[in-house]
This record gives sequence, C-alpha cells and structure tokens, in this order.
Amino acid sequence: MIRRHPWIIPASFLALPILVYFTFVILPTLNSLYYSFTDWVGYGADFNFVGLANFEKIFTDRLFSNAIKNTAIWFLLAIFAPTLLGLTLALALQGKRKINTLYKSLFYLPICLSPIIIGIIWVWLYSPKLGIVNIFLRSVGLDQFATAWLANPNTALFAVFVAWAWQQTGLNMVIFLAGLTSVPTPLVEAAKVDGANYWQTLIKVIIPMLRPATVVVLALTAISALKSFEIIWVMTMGGPFNKSDTLAVFMYSESFRKFKMGYGSSAAVILFLMTLVIIMFYFRFAARAEELYD
Amino acid sequence: MTSAPAPIPDRQCPRGAPLPPRRRGSRRHRPAEGERFSRAHWRRLLGTALLYFVLTIMLILFMTPVYGAIVTAFKSQAEVSAGGYWTIPTRFAAENFERVLDPEDGNLGLYLQNSLLLTIPASLFSIALGTLAGYGLGKYSFKGDGLLFILIVAGMFLPPQIALIPVFRLMNDIGLYDTLWAVIIIHTAFGIPICTLVMRNFFQVVPNALREAALIDGANEYSIFFRIMLPLTLPALAVLATLQFTWIWNDFLWPFILTQRAESRTVMVGILNLTGQYTVDWGGQAAASLIGSLPTLFIFVFFQRYFIRGLTLGAVKG
Repeated sequence: MIRRHPWIIPASFLALPILVYFTFVILPTLNSLYYSFTDWVGYGADFNFVGLANFEKIFTDRLFSNAIKNTAIWFLLAIFAPTLLGLTLALALQGKRKINTLYKSLFYLPICLSPIIIGIIWVWLYSPKLGIVNIFLRSVGLDQFATAWLANPNTALFAVFVAWAWQQTGLNMVIFLAGLTSVPTPLVEAAKVDGANYWQTLIKVIIPMLRPATVVVLALTAISALKSFEIIWVMTMGGPFNKSDTLAVFMYSESFRKFKMGYGSSAAVILFLMTLVIIMFYFRFAARAEELYD
Repeated sequence: MTSAPAPIPDRQCPRGAPLPPRRRGSRRHRPAEGERFSRAHWRRLLGTALLYFVLTIMLILFMTPVYGAIVTAFKSQAEVSAGGYWTIPTRFAAENFERVLDPEDGNLGLYLQNSLLLTIPASLFSIALGTLAGYGLGKYSFKGDGLLFILIVAGMFLPPQIALIPVFRLMNDIGLYDTLWAVIIIHTAFGIPICTLVMRNFFQVVPNALREAALIDGANEYSIFFRIMLPLTLPALAVLATLQFTWIWNDFLWPFILTQRAESRTVMVGILNLTGQYTVDWGGQAAASLIGSLPTLFIFVFFQRYFIRGLTLGAVKG
C-alpha cells in the first residue's frame, strides 16, 4: 500500500461507519462535556449554563469524595488481584495436557455470563444464613468471621469486588495464555540448558516476554474496573451507607435517580478523564503490544 | 542425568489409530533404564500432582457459583424452603422454569424475544459497518488514516457513562426512547471500534496481489470488495459475531437507561426486575439466570475457538 488512492474510494467505504460513529459516540461524548456546565434536570428543554459550578460543587461533595475513595480501592485491588491470579492460572495451564483444556474452559466460563447474572448468583453465596460462604465458615469453626457480607459496611465493597474479579480473572488468563504462545520455546529451552531453574526462567525470560500481554491486561482491567457499574448495582446498589458507591454508581444515581443530569455529567466527565489517562498510557505502551494483535 | 533434558515418554497415540503391534500387551511405555525411579523423576511427578491438586481445589471454589445456580434452578420450591439450597436436588423439577416463562408470571419469553430482536440486528449492523471501515482503513492509504484509525479504536475504551445522558436525551428527542431501536442503534455505534479494529487487521494481511490481479482484469473497487474480499472474511466475521452477540446480549446498562415498558424490556433488565418480584424465590431467580445465559453458553460451548480468538485479538471490553 505505498500507492495513494483518490480519496473518494476509501471515503465511500468509510462515510457510513464514520457518520454513525460520530453521531452516536463522539457527539454524545462532547455533549456530555457541555451538559456538565449546565443545571439540566433530565426533562424539558430549558436549563442554564452554570459554568464551573458543578465542578466546584462536586469537589466539596462528601458523597463524591466517598465514591472516589471506593473507586481507588476497587482500582488498586483490580490492578493486582485478577491480574496476578490470571497470570498464575495461565502459567499453570499453558501445557498441552488434555486436562488443561478442560480446566481452562471452566476457568473462563464466567466470561460469557452477564454481570447481572453473576451478581444475582453471588448475592446467594453471601446470604447471611443460607449462603455457602457462611455455611462453609461455620462448618470449619470460623463462626466469628461469618457476617452479612453485603450488608456489613466493612465488607460490602470487597465482597462485590470478589464477584467482579471472578469474571475478570478468566479474561486475564485468556489474554496471558495468548501471550504465552508467543514466547519462543527455544528461548525457554536455552535457559534450561544453561542451568536456570523454573523460577529463574519465569522471572528472567517468560515474564519479560509477556510484556505486551501484560500491557493489554492492565489497560483492560483498569478501564473495566473504572466503568463497572452493573455488578455493584445488582448486589448492593452502592450501599450500605454508600460504602460500595463507586464513581460509576455515583454518576448513575445523581443523574437518573436524583435527576441532576448536569451534575451527573460532571461526574461522567471526571470518569472519562480518568479513563483517558489509561488510554494514553495504553497507546504509549501498545506499540510493543502490536504482535499480540497479529 | 540433569544436563540433558530427559526424554519425555510418549504415551499418546493418534486417536482412533490402532496401536502399533509391537506395543500390544505392554501396559505402559517403558522409560529408559534407571530413569523411572530416579529422584528427579519422582520429584517431577510429585510437583505435577501437587499442581493439579491445588488447581482442582481452585476450580472447585471457582465453580461453586455455577453449581449453586444449576442445582437451585432444578429444585422444587418445597425442597428449597426445606433448607436444601446447596444440595443436589432429590428429583429434577421443571416448575421454576415454567414459572419464569409463564406470561402471567415471570414473562421471560417476551424478554428473550426482545433480546434476540435487539442482539441479532445490532450485531449484524455493527459488523457490517466495521467491515466497511476496516476495509477503507486496511486496504487504502490516505492523508490522516492513522489518526482516524486511532480515533475509532479509542472508542473501544470509552466508558459508556460518558455518553449516557446525551444519548438518553437524543433518543427522547428523536422519539426512539423506550423502543428496541434506540438500543440497537447505540450498540451498533459502540460496536464499530472493535469491529473496525478486527477487520482492518484482517484486511491488512490479505495479499494485495489479489486486488491488483482483479484490477487488471477490469474489476472496479466495489466489485473487488464484494466479490473477492468479502468471501475471504468469513473467519473474522465468525470471531466478531460471537463477540458482539455475547457482549450485546449480556449488556444491561443501555437497555436499562433507554427502555421502560415491559414490551421493550430485554432479558437482563427483565431478570433483574424478577429478582425484585421473587425476593426469596431463589429457584425462580436461578431458572431465569440459566435461561438468560443459554445463548451465550451455547456460543461458549460450540464457538469457543472464535470467541477466545476475539477476546485476544481485539482484547475487548469487559
């Protein structure tokens, strides 16, 4: 493709997709920015331009700082837990044994389930009297740890996070497994011949070769952590006492429950800016990740 | 002993192929003398056993939620209220499924139908538009093509929250609020980035010689696209179809925001509503969850290869 073409031909292929993409993705994104400077309530056509008032207000809003705190906890847990677990599973299951195929399939089965359904199922698991988590704790004599996981302000956020990580781990495992297939076998063999044990090979050869996959996993996990709404909504609706209220839940509640659409838009804009940082980080490092896409 | 990698005994035969005659009668392939009982051999065996022991424990923990949903769905209400939530049902009961599918009760049939009427067109439209854009970007070069590609692909990472309020308003203004069309359009648009990425990468590796040969034969650009390129894209289309179907079927946020009446309710919104109606009826919730997951489980079982390829290719929205 060295030769350049008259622009009309590629344009004829690109016009319709770009029109749809622009109208329903780019335009609304820019519009959100606009609404964040207004006091629109969600219905009717009249609203006022209020400048930066929404942003001034949001940074003094106790609920917002609470949501930011919960999002930060969620985000940090997300960066480590499902990533390391996914990597461990991928390393353990990368061999060609028949049984590995079965194990892999079962570990990534949660990917094909809706967060709604995952939430519903995990609510039963955490049920105070009948949930299997407490049944198990009681059966091994750890009664003092049994609690109403989703109603206890100290555990709610973490309990929901575990349900979310249940799905994310499988996805990360799949991407790491794809990354592992691109680690050249001769390299690993050479390390073994040179007398490296498994851990040395892992740290010095395999992990560095997994860099592209790691970039993808971290970016996807980070973005998915920031925007996860459904599973929290199903399991706790952000409660109790807003203890599991993340930025995505806060944005929804303010806009669609309290009908403060202008104010909600400013929360959405802040969420978007956080995502933008991750996207920029991703494109900065993704050049090295190119081979994963081929 | 340790310097050279020990030959791994080959116990596998091609499936269905008859065993070579000289092996008949011998139960196991015999490793080289002295190797079988060496310390290194036992250590490796012990390591493998330990690894699979730990993996199996993890798998059991991992599968507990799925197990719980399945056994609860097939249990009669009488048995559930007797306290047996996590036990295997004494007899398989279909009553939960009947209840949630009953139009007078759970009405899940209507929601399933709505979800199909939404997911199939939205998947098709997004793939069609992504194929056009992917071809335009993959096979032609023009000024600003790189920037355009990045702008489109970046959409893959956009949190839906940023567009929620303006789309809600837009759909109200154009009179599509509370119709399946609103959700179809939005999923089509939000599917364009991933479909464009996959198709552009696909078209980039299609040899240019194919196009040039056709050009010399007098074909125009459009007949090349429709007659030569499109038939080649089937594997990529299969990847995208599994991906888009799963993602759109499972989505909750957009239909939750853009629809209201039962007539336009999708299955995930419907199931969440049912949990409000069936607060303590775990059997009903479990049956609804299983029914709602059937289409994506079907893809998982029969098209797993394409689905996994999609997840790792475009590396997707979670």
